[in-house]
Amino acid sequence: MKYRVLNISKSYEELKVLDNISIDFPKDKTTCILGPSGCGKSTLLNIIAGILDPDSGDVVGFKDESISFVFQEDRLIPWKNVRDNLSFVLEGKMDKRDIERAIDDYLKSVNLQDYKYYYPSNLSGGMKQRISILRAFIYPSSILLMDEPFKSLDINNKHTVMEFFKKLKVMEKRTCILVTHDVDEAIELSDRIIILSDKPSNVKMVMDNYYVHNKNKEDKAHIKNQIERELME
Amino acid sequence: MRDFTLKDKRLSTISKLILLGLWVILSEIIDNEVIFPTLGSTLKSLIEIVKTPDFISIIASSLLRSLIGFLISLFLAVLTGILSSISKFFYNVMIPILNFLGSVPTMAIIILALIWLNNEIVPMFVGFIMIFPILYETVQKGILNVDKKILEICKLYKVRRITLIKDIYIPSIFINLSMVFTSALSTNLKMVIAGEALSQPKFAIGSNLQIEKMYLNTAGVFAWIIIILLISKLLSYIMKAAIDFTKVDKWM
Repeated sequence: MKYRVLNISKSYEELKVLDNISIDFPKDKTTCILGPSGCGKSTLLNIIAGILDPDSGDVVGFKDESISFVFQEDRLIPWKNVRDNLSFVLEGKMDKRDIERAIDDYLKSVNLQDYKYYYPSNLSGGMKQRISILRAFIYPSSILLMDEPFKSLDINNKHTVMEFFKKLKVMEKRTCILVTHDVDEAIELSDRIIILSDKPSNVKMVMDNYYVHNKNKEDKAHIKNQIERELME
Repeated sequence: MRDFTLKDKRLSTISKLILLGLWVILSEIIDNEVIFPTLGSTLKSLIEIVKTPDFISIIASSLLRSLIGFLISLFLAVLTGILSSISKFFYNVMIPILNFLGSVPTMAIIILALIWLNNEIVPMFVGFIMIFPILYETVQKGILNVDKKILEICKLYKVRRITLIKDIYIPSIFINLSMVFTSALSTNLKMVIAGEALSQPKFAIGSNLQIEKMYLNTAGVFAWIIIILLISKLLSYIMKAAIDFTKVDKWM
């Protein structure tokens, strides 16, 4: 196992959020972290990305890897248009012609090709989030971290982006960690599902999502029941 | 934004007409050209000033002094603002200098400048001591107030240092500067003219204001004030056109 967090604990002053969490993340697979609101899922993701330091414990394998991250908010640069927001993270990593081609292809894949030269202030919240997701997808990373990426998207755009994510998973091998509170999203996209307990969080359950491979509707319902039961307890 | 929504051209014109009316009434009541000149005598002085052969040289010299002074202040503000944002040592070196400029009466510094400096340099120096602290703090704010979340993104995506400076820090500095540019330019012009009135260079608006005062030609002083107002207005139009041309705020 290449990527893992080991005995991670984190407190914010007196409030203990993460309590001795250990998770293995299979290489080139998508692991979904589910849990109640405020249980520290985003904190864990930020620790993995190196944005936050844990109080104790180790993050193994992530440090020297290239990581892309979809935050809950879009974090686009306001004075750069869509094209420049995307090319900004690619400069020096690809040659100019490849950057242009990649931007055009990716924008087309989520139906945003007409907005290439728009500034973030002229885009809707959902459009901005789609660009932020594209920025993470287009960046040549080996690890993709996503913190509730589809939260601000309407049903149609969510479907488009999720389908694109599935295609991307087939086209490019990446280790993905997805944080969400949406059970359907987790079942639809992940190979492995981790359920965290409420604060101070620890790992409540780890399950392999066989639905993602066999697409059996009965299996999906069974997994969903199992997860919901676990989340309710 | 509120400023723009509150702006009303019609009301502004009415206000200007009221001021003109007040001028006419007050000059009639006071009825003394030395204390408060009439609109007519001011216009007459204005025409006489514009007709003098040195008029263009006077205006050009004052504008040039103002421009050179402003560019020097801007250059030094950008340089010191960047240095103090990246060096704790430099930041602390700048604190007493700014405190000195902020707390010592401007007139005291000007008097020292009159003793030490050439009379062509004094007006620029006067402008500098007034606008340098404003520009310096604006540059520093532009650097230190860059959104931490954007910096996190840059760190995560391993954005090169040169790209970070070129695409994040420099635009942030110029966006902040563009907000104070017009007011800094006009403050600088006013201070340069004040410096000219004290140091008396050969061709200067300030020197001419002082001469009119010496001859008790208040209409001449009023005429020069009108000229300064027109120049200020022209500068703000030029700045607005420059901002529109460079499209520095197109993303807003």
